[in-house]
Amino acid sequence: MSARSHDPFDEDAAAYVLGALTGEENRRFAAHLEDCAACREEVARLQVVADALPLAAPQLSAPPELKQRLMGAVAGDAPDGASGRRWRGVRDVRASRGSSPGRWAMGAVAALAAVAIVLAVIALAGSGGGASPRVVRARVLAPGATASLRISNGRGELLVNGMPQAPPRRTYEVWVQRGGAPQPTDALFTVSGSGGATVAVPGAIAGVTAVLVTAEPLGGSPAPTSPPVIVARTG
Amino acid sequence: MFKAGRSTGGESANEPLGALADEELMQLVYKGAAHAFEVIYDRHAEAAFSLAMRICGQRALAEDVTQEAFLSLWRSRARYDRGRGSVRTWVLGIVHNRAIDGVRRRGVRDRGVVHDEVIEAQVPAPERTELEVARREEAREVRDALEQLPKEQSRVIELAYFGGLTHVEIASMLGTPVGTVKGRMRLGLAKMRSTLAHPAEAMR
Repeated sequence: MSARSHDPFDEDAAAYVLGALTGEENRRFAAHLEDCAACREEVARLQVVADALPLAAPQLSAPPELKQRLMGAVAGDAPDGASGRRWRGVRDVRASRGSSPGRWAMGAVAALAAVAIVLAVIALAGSGGGASPRVVRARVLAPGATASLRISNGRGELLVNGMPQAPPRRTYEVWVQRGGAPQPTDALFTVSGSGGATVAVPGAIAGVTAVLVTAEPLGGSPAPTSPPVIVARTG
Repeated sequence: MFKAGRSTGGESANEPLGALADEELMQLVYKGAAHAFEVIYDRHAEAAFSLAMRICGQRALAEDVTQEAFLSLWRSRARYDRGRGSVRTWVLGIVHNRAIDGVRRRGVRDRGVVHDEVIEAQVPAPERTELEVARREEAREVRDALEQLPKEQSRVIELAYFGGLTHVEIASMLGTPVGTVKGRMRLGLAKMRSTLAHPAEAMR
């Protein structure tokens, strides 16, 4: 190997993929790689091993508080920082530096809007308060699933199609939002084998700005513990 | 070496997203989808935190590093390049850089050695899904491949990768010539590569 024309670089590939070259060596070797196919090949060959090295560390569980803090910070980044105190599942427990827990909720909703497989909010009937039913197309997270909110005589009914089953030991829960944080309802539901469900939204629909669905523990939850999978805005 | 990050279910409350591959999830993360980001976190947090613990040797610092790494991933969404490897490799690369920066900045001593705190923290997570079982198995293979190397080879690889030391620093620490350290790195990595390649081939 020492007979090759680029002797100074012969041993560098391994140190390079391990990040063990000095700054100046690293710069020179990187420049050399531009011109040397043999060294590029050697780097690619050894890079595979370097990429696997993280797994040589003893594998430990990540602390749950870490996730809470992280998702709290992520929620704090959400563009819509509206109030709301119910999304405690992701509260930043250590330091709530100005990020209200509600932001996570709003962030999740905003994100859902971005994902939206079904985007259009369609008012099929007149927008007035007449007796004719109004159908609002909901935003649904699951690919291929659809949901709509049917409003009639001051009541709401959620029609769901093609939804996946709730995760193990969880059920879907309906929430209503009246400007502020989502309020729990006692409407818990599962979907049929084909992913269908028809669920009455408890209470009057007047003043409700959005109907949401999340997956919750079997008995329901007083505060959402996961991001919404369905969002129907009435406005 | 890393298997594709496709879920086998049960790893997250975000079940519909759990069916998506990492690369598909990243498309959603670009658009600001926090729940897609959460699934990415759930899939890679264990490996990320374990790597950070191995490098930092202190739980508090390792947690900070892991959080910073994932936050930077969230905040600079645009930088993942599919051509550069899997999302997992990319995430662990960020954690690695941040952890090495962290120990340098805070002057952590004994870099590259396994600390007591790491050993104490070894409460293995339950292997809930097929994916997790496969990942643990993969981790065992990598660890075995490293441990099978002659000690002088594994030592320089560990000091470089987990300690963030240059070959010059390692040479001076071990009292060996500079060229010797580079050569041990090359021999060690080449040997690991063939060890890791063979069981995979035997399975096919």
